[in-house]
Amino acid sequence: MHSGLMRIAGLTAAISLVATACASPGATPSRGAGASPTVAGASPTVTAAPPSQDAATPTQPAAQKVTYRLTTWAGEDESNELQELVLDEINASQSEFEIVHEPAPADYYTKLQTTLAGGTGADFMWLSQEYVAGYASRGALLDLTEPLKAIDSPAAAVDRYFPDVMSTALYQDHVYGLPWISQPVVLYYNPALFDAANIDYPDDTWDWDTFLTNAKALTKDTDGDGTPDQYGFSASGWPPVHMFIWQAGGDVISDDLKSSPIDSPEAIAGAEFYKSLIYNPECCPTEDTIAEQGFGEMFKAGTVAMFMGGASDTFESADGTVLDIGASVVPMGPTSRTTFAWTGSTVVNSTVENPELAVKALVALTDGIQHWKIVSPNMDLATKEVVTASLPDKWKDQKGPQVEAILASTSDMRSFNVIPRQQEWDDLFWREFQDKLYHDQGTAADLAAAARTQLEALLPE
Amino acid sequence: MKAPPIPVPAEAGELRSTRPRRRRTLAKVPIYLMLALGAGFALIPFIWMVSTALKTPGQLFKFPPEWIPNPVAWTNFGEAWDALPFGAMVLNSLFVTTLAMVGELSSAAVVAYGFARFHFPFRNALFLLMLSTMMLPWVVTLIPGFLIWKQFGLINTFDPLTVGALFAWGPFYIFLLRQFFLGVSRDIEEAAIVDGANPVQVLWYVMLPLVRPVLLAVAVLSFQGNWNNFKGALIYLQEPLTRFTLPLGLQFFQATLSGGESPRWHLMMAMSTLMVIPVMVLFFLAQRQFIEGIQLGGVKG
Amino acid sequence: MPRIEWYAETLLRYAFVAAVIVGIMLLTYRGLVAVGVRRQTATGFALILPWFLGFLIWNLFPVAASLYLSLTNYNILQTPDFVGLANYDRLLNQDQQFWASLRLTMAYSAITVPLGLALALLAATLLNQGVRGVGLWRTLYYLPAVLPAFVTALLWRFMLLPTRSGLVNTATEPIWSLFGDNAPRWFLDPDTVLWGFVIMSFWGVFGANTVIMLAGLKNIPRDLYEAADVDGAGILPKFRHITLPQLTPTLFYLLIMGIIAGVQIFDIGLFVRVPRENFLNVYLYQQGFTFFNMGYASAIAWVMLVIILVLTLAVFRSSQAWVYYESEARR
Repeated sequence: MHSGLMRIAGLTAAISLVATACASPGATPSRGAGASPTVAGASPTVTAAPPSQDAATPTQPAAQKVTYRLTTWAGEDESNELQELVLDEINASQSEFEIVHEPAPADYYTKLQTTLAGGTGADFMWLSQEYVAGYASRGALLDLTEPLKAIDSPAAAVDRYFPDVMSTALYQDHVYGLPWISQPVVLYYNPALFDAANIDYPDDTWDWDTFLTNAKALTKDTDGDGTPDQYGFSASGWPPVHMFIWQAGGDVISDDLKSSPIDSPEAIAGAEFYKSLIYNPECCPTEDTIAEQGFGEMFKAGTVAMFMGGASDTFESADGTVLDIGASVVPMGPTSRTTFAWTGSTVVNSTVENPELAVKALVALTDGIQHWKIVSPNMDLATKEVVTASLPDKWKDQKGPQVEAILASTSDMRSFNVIPRQQEWDDLFWREFQDKLYHDQGTAADLAAAARTQLEALLPE
Repeated sequence: MKAPPIPVPAEAGELRSTRPRRRRTLAKVPIYLMLALGAGFALIPFIWMVSTALKTPGQLFKFPPEWIPNPVAWTNFGEAWDALPFGAMVLNSLFVTTLAMVGELSSAAVVAYGFARFHFPFRNALFLLMLSTMMLPWVVTLIPGFLIWKQFGLINTFDPLTVGALFAWGPFYIFLLRQFFLGVSRDIEEAAIVDGANPVQVLWYVMLPLVRPVLLAVAVLSFQGNWNNFKGALIYLQEPLTRFTLPLGLQFFQATLSGGESPRWHLMMAMSTLMVIPVMVLFFLAQRQFIEGIQLGGVKG
Repeated sequence: MPRIEWYAETLLRYAFVAAVIVGIMLLTYRGLVAVGVRRQTATGFALILPWFLGFLIWNLFPVAASLYLSLTNYNILQTPDFVGLANYDRLLNQDQQFWASLRLTMAYSAITVPLGLALALLAATLLNQGVRGVGLWRTLYYLPAVLPAFVTALLWRFMLLPTRSGLVNTATEPIWSLFGDNAPRWFLDPDTVLWGFVIMSFWGVFGANTVIMLAGLKNIPRDLYEAADVDGAGILPKFRHITLPQLTPTLFYLLIMGIIAGVQIFDIGLFVRVPRENFLNVYLYQQGFTFFNMGYASAIAWVMLVIILVLTLAVFRSSQAWVYYESEARR
């Protein structure tokens, strides 16, 4: 019960952590064109800021600058990047407010709960897509719909966001957050292993069958001890099974949030395909192996040939060498090539001081982050130029060639349909359906039918 | 039969054998063997922890498992130490632990003295009440406790972790100290009272010195408990990083490290080793008193 | 430097609170004496005041608050919504996870506590046979208890991995192949999770229990044994009729402590990923802090409290029959 949730939370955190590696410290902000006044290269920014700062301060008493607190789950590296690449610039160039970062990478959501309960919650918070509806429905978040209309900035242009990504920040058609990233899941692969097995690299002609066949072909016992040493693919709770259900034409929570049709034939087809992959030694590492080595680590160590990861994932070996990794769109399912868009939004505490200024700060913050992360949820920024320009030097060689596949995926990406009691729903979905299915405790059809009633009891009335 | 409260002579209670010396020694070999087995069970995980802390990722999953990695990755410790402001965290931990310890000890001593030596109505009922608070699951008191501190505006300070100690929040320590006070002969106490000492003076000059081993034991236990206190720090210390205590810093680091399904074991073990060192050092220094205190608590309980 | 400020502020408030407590103690004393209470009584009350104040603020109020909350739906962010006994009804009649967690927790306690006591008794007896270096042995045995739960959980999680890098399975491989079974998968298999926890937790407290038991043994008066020797009693009868009865107070203490700790087990459960149910306290935590169901979590907490009370009361009551206090010689 704990593990299902942990998986998803841990993996979303993992993706976001890996996402930060795309802009490692030391890389000068080589951002694409955007509304942020701090663009145009490093040096002009540095020399430009102090004069405007000096000019500003004499005319304003120091107490006027409002301090907003931002809390995120960023670990050490990501925190440093956030500070250097986004916050420092904003704080230097803004005269009315400054943003202070308070990371809470451990038990983030627990901290969030207790601080909100105690009235000491931060002003801005990162929420992964599964949480916005819950907090919004409980009155913890500021409604941003109207204030955003008054601000002229790309980050505030709600209709310029990918609709399937923006939907995660909506609750009952009101805007409660601004997404700062939209990572479509792509299929990463290790070219060396493909070359050795004489198999063509994945591309957009692949479908489920090709994928499975090739995954099996790439699973080998190279030292003859009876257990495979190399695997074609690896899965645990990630990638989300939802993706495959969508590709088969089904869904786990309907768009109108009124039903959980996990026992539809389409959904069953998706789930069964996933089951044929996960922990199956013909193509994937077993649960025990994953618990020991971590399947992300295994991919980086070169023992797994393919990995489905977020767009901003970066791969380096244990000793720091940047690996040669290719990317392709995910294989085509029976009805579509839908891929999962991992997204997070920054939301505003409903008790924030000076809401209009806060929203302004939020927009500036979001704009900064959107220029840092891959891929921006803003359609105008999801272009080859912007993405390539935002790649830090360290990763240019690795991710440069991947950009095409990443951008191609954005047209097929979508996110979850989220309900206020999403955490309980996810826990139940894992415990009563997925966990049992992957451990051979029933057929997909039976388990789905049994779980459906319980799941639907959690949907909003 | 009197059972003195101060270290018991070692010979009392031994099952003495009457067999000739040589056979006695031989008969002890199986005993030593079994003891060694138990000690091994206790020690081996420690050794494994340090061994893992010195491995590089490539060496982690080697089979058969290696005890001494080759080469030894001392850099893991450096990496772990550099990653966070551990220096600041150690100081914070020291600060919090010291204040909490002093608070716990003094208030426990005072309260225990009250329960031990003075008669007042409801004394036993109150004592039982105090004991029963040990059974309260912490989650029951978590949110209301948090709300109280919030009222005073003391979230994100060290106060919740230290000031609370002044209220004798350790029922176990009170219990232990009371047991020992009960065992002190009244004569000395009464002599002091006759000489005009007030209760506080009696406590300080007479009682406490007589129960020194327990005090030391409580001190070490208290140190251990506060040094390792994670839940409190998690809830009450929010930002910035330099305000964190060690356990919280460790968690921060863990979250950074454990991307995906499995933690990076070598770094985790390195960090754990680092964190455990102060407590173990203290333990080795004070072990005799410490263990005797625990023992006697069990006996008196 | 900001850090010095933080320390200074806390120190100031710390000293202030200490002064206030002392002040209240003095006032209470003077006040009671002034209304004619005997000096002894007044002093007694005054001395226990720090605890009593703390009790009111940090125990009574939260307990009352949580009892109230257990009768509500409370998601922390909005005002509680009174629902009467609905939480308890759902908990006891409809919540399979609760019962699964409860079973795990009780099974865990039922195994760990007696096992710990029995083996600690064995080890303590061994140590009591006049072996050399008792101090060293004691220290070695106690060492695992020094680790914080977080570290213990991580360490054992690593050692109990069912793969080849898992120390335990690799080291005990001959045993499993002897029985023709696969080695247990510990925390990856719902059926063996319990045993994983038992081992982990046993390792942590075994030494502490041994040390306490040893003290209990040493406290047994020697002349009892000598009298038995004179009567020609062998080792086993001596153990049964002298050692065990004399040890019962120690056993009683360890049993109570064990039950309280066992039912509330939390830390080690939090840091280990389990496939299905976890301990009751962890389930409580999840309900309250992951699912926003603080009211429901409070109900679970109260059920847990009742269980502990019932068990400890039972042990207390039964103690009349089997615990032998020197001071109340029944013979």
